[in-house]
Amino acid sequence: MTKQEFLEELAEVIDTEIELNEDTNLDEIDEYDSIAILSLINFYDELGVKVKPSDFENLKKVSDLIKLAGDKVE
Amino acid sequence: MAKFHFENIDIKAIVTTIGNKKIKIEDEAENFGYDEKMVNRLKKRMGFNSRYVVKKGVCTSDLCFQSAKKIFEKFDKSKVEALIFVSQTPDYKAPSTAIILQDRLGLSKDIIAYDINLGCSGFIGGLINAYSLINSGLNSVLLCVGDVASNFSYCKDKNLTPLMGDAGSAILIEKGSNRADFVMHSDGSGYKHLIIPDGGCRNPFSEDSLKEVEEDGSVRRRVDMYMNGAEIFNFAVKVVPELINEVLEFSKTNKEEIDYFVLHQANKYILQTIAKKLKVEDKLPMETISIYGNQNSASIPGTINAFLNEDFSNKKLKVLFAGFGIGLSWGAGVVDIDKIYAPKIQEYKE
Repeated sequence: MTKQEFLEELAEVIDTEIELNEDTNLDEIDEYDSIAILSLINFYDELGVKVKPSDFENLKKVSDLIKLAGDKVE
Repeated sequence: MAKFHFENIDIKAIVTTIGNKKIKIEDEAENFGYDEKMVNRLKKRMGFNSRYVVKKGVCTSDLCFQSAKKIFEKFDKSKVEALIFVSQTPDYKAPSTAIILQDRLGLSKDIIAYDINLGCSGFIGGLINAYSLINSGLNSVLLCVGDVASNFSYCKDKNLTPLMGDAGSAILIEKGSNRADFVMHSDGSGYKHLIIPDGGCRNPFSEDSLKEVEEDGSVRRRVDMYMNGAEIFNFAVKVVPELINEVLEFSKTNKEEIDYFVLHQANKYILQTIAKKLKVEDKLPMETISIYGNQNSASIPGTINAFLNEDFSNKKLKVLFAGFGIGLSWGAGVVDIDKIYAPKIQEYKE
């Protein structure tokens, strides 16, 4: 999927109304919490990307979440 | 893989007793620092709504005692030759609670009685033990399962405490005419993801055991249960679909033949994810958590007594049970049920 599509789906998965871009800091997103991590584990699984909960530790920006999706995002 | 095949054994009765104190998530949100928005997210995603707990001092064995008494209003207790108590909240560190229950229930002294320390996989582990005893020649086994999780979940632990409900079930298993197949797995490499660190031999109880520690936004002590929610979620959504396919294959059953998939009621999101992966949404009840809370090893019988009691009482069914959690430990069974005694879930009477 394109970066834009990924960002739109990401906002839906995290359940946030903030408009996300690559530079958005994750700690600016109120909804980016332990529930969001569970939703993200499912989201990446559906994309066909194997992730571990520890992969989400120390991530800073939305761009880090894009990197985690590897070649699934163009 | 540990696989078990049994024939000519029946589950005769399933009775569940829950704590008699109802707590709504709104009433305790403040303790956990949850605002209204968070409460709504927890309700929508995780299925949090209310839970039933015991008053301080009531033990799992008290709930199981009430459940078993109800069974013995209908069935002959003098036939019972074994009592198995599956729980993480025994009456004492020693002796086995099962032996104390033998006396309280007025069972024969000529029985074998022992405890098993399992959590959310405990109903499956308990059934495997009970069926194995019948297979070895016994006629009737009473299986008690459950936990008073309010005993080990700290009042300020916002990850674990709002999830947990207290329940104790009794299940009567006897020689009969039905078949059952089970599989079971254990993986101790994940033991740290759900653990009560202090109070055993490894970390004996000390002054530090009661100190409050803040960790991942929650406050708890080392005598309380710690849960790494993301690791447990990740574990459950990965292994449970595989587990279910495995037990279906072992029992040579198509998933279309299964009337109900009764799974451990961990939280709604886990169950929705599993149901979606397996495409069995319409046959997988997932409401227990929202009303009663996560009942540990009693959550499968608890779901039967709360939502499926009429079908279990009146129909011949093929059901799939699956439990998964602390240990890590996970197991499943395909069990034929033929019109058993399964009354509506009951509250504990003091």
